[in-house]
Amino acid sequence: MEVQGLQMTENKTAPGLFKRNPPIAGEAEAIERAKEGDSEAFSKLYALHKRRVYTLCLRMLGNVSEAEDMTQEAFLHLFRKIGSFRGESAFSTWLHRLTVNLVLMHLRKKGLQLVSLEETINPSEEDSPKRDFGSRDTQLAGSVDRVALERAVASLPPGYRMVFVLHDVEGFEHNEIAVMLECSTGNSKSQLHKARLKLRELLRQSESTQQADLKEAAL
Amino acid sequence: MTLNNSRSKILSCAEFQEQLPDFFAAGGADSIDDPALLEHLKTCENCSALVRDLQYIADQARQLLEPTHEPSDNVWKKIQEGLASDPSYAAESNEK
Repeated sequence: MEVQGLQMTENKTAPGLFKRNPPIAGEAEAIERAKEGDSEAFSKLYALHKRRVYTLCLRMLGNVSEAEDMTQEAFLHLFRKIGSFRGESAFSTWLHRLTVNLVLMHLRKKGLQLVSLEETINPSEEDSPKRDFGSRDTQLAGSVDRVALERAVASLPPGYRMVFVLHDVEGFEHNEIAVMLECSTGNSKSQLHKARLKLRELLRQSESTQQADLKEAAL
Repeated sequence: MTLNNSRSKILSCAEFQEQLPDFFAAGGADSIDDPALLEHLKTCENCSALVRDLQYIADQARQLLEPTHEPSDNVWKKIQEGLASDPSYAAESNEK
């Protein structure tokens, strides 16, 4: 199956992505064997990368069933096109870019237009982050754990979540995100800022709830 | 990052916060070198807390790169079925 719009060749990668995706023991050998159609090598590559690919799909889609389908699609595309991987960028970077493109295509097919973030995946007023002009709020405690952050990210509106995951978690640059989402870099920056504001709000709510629960438990 | 038009005036919180997307894209609060912006950051408790929080969230996001979720075994089964039913997977690789 040929997928339109998928960039299967290696793109120049931002230096940060190399730092984030160091080589994995046994990976290079498995890639070479997979290029020759070795099924055990496919299995090895799947074992090495399934969690990150699946987690990426799950964060972008917010749905287990769709995330599993896209994980399957991503690996089938990977195995079909692995011959074109030349090792000029980190393998995981190449795989993640492939996965992101597949997920975005899937979302477009579902009718989510990504041409203009402002017009299409901008959240409703209710979901928008609250402005913070002059209020006397305390700052985050500085002890936000991974579970709380994961939960907050999952509850972000889809457009915010997409840009946050691509930039802050996966390490893509704004110009790369702009190409992927077919928007301006300014739009990408703006959406990311709104995503972080919304996360701050969600995390503070979560902290307040926890404190209230503790007080209640102490009574 | 320096913005010439903000050098000589006292900024409101709204004006300061309008600049934040660009500051963070340029490298975070450390990249701010405009005197008016630095002054606002130093004197406005609310905006300085906001900047610290947003920087903290961006820093914490990196810990999410390490995956925690695992696909069900069914995913690999379906991939294997896909590989088995389409001989082009191995053949295409061998042609390269």
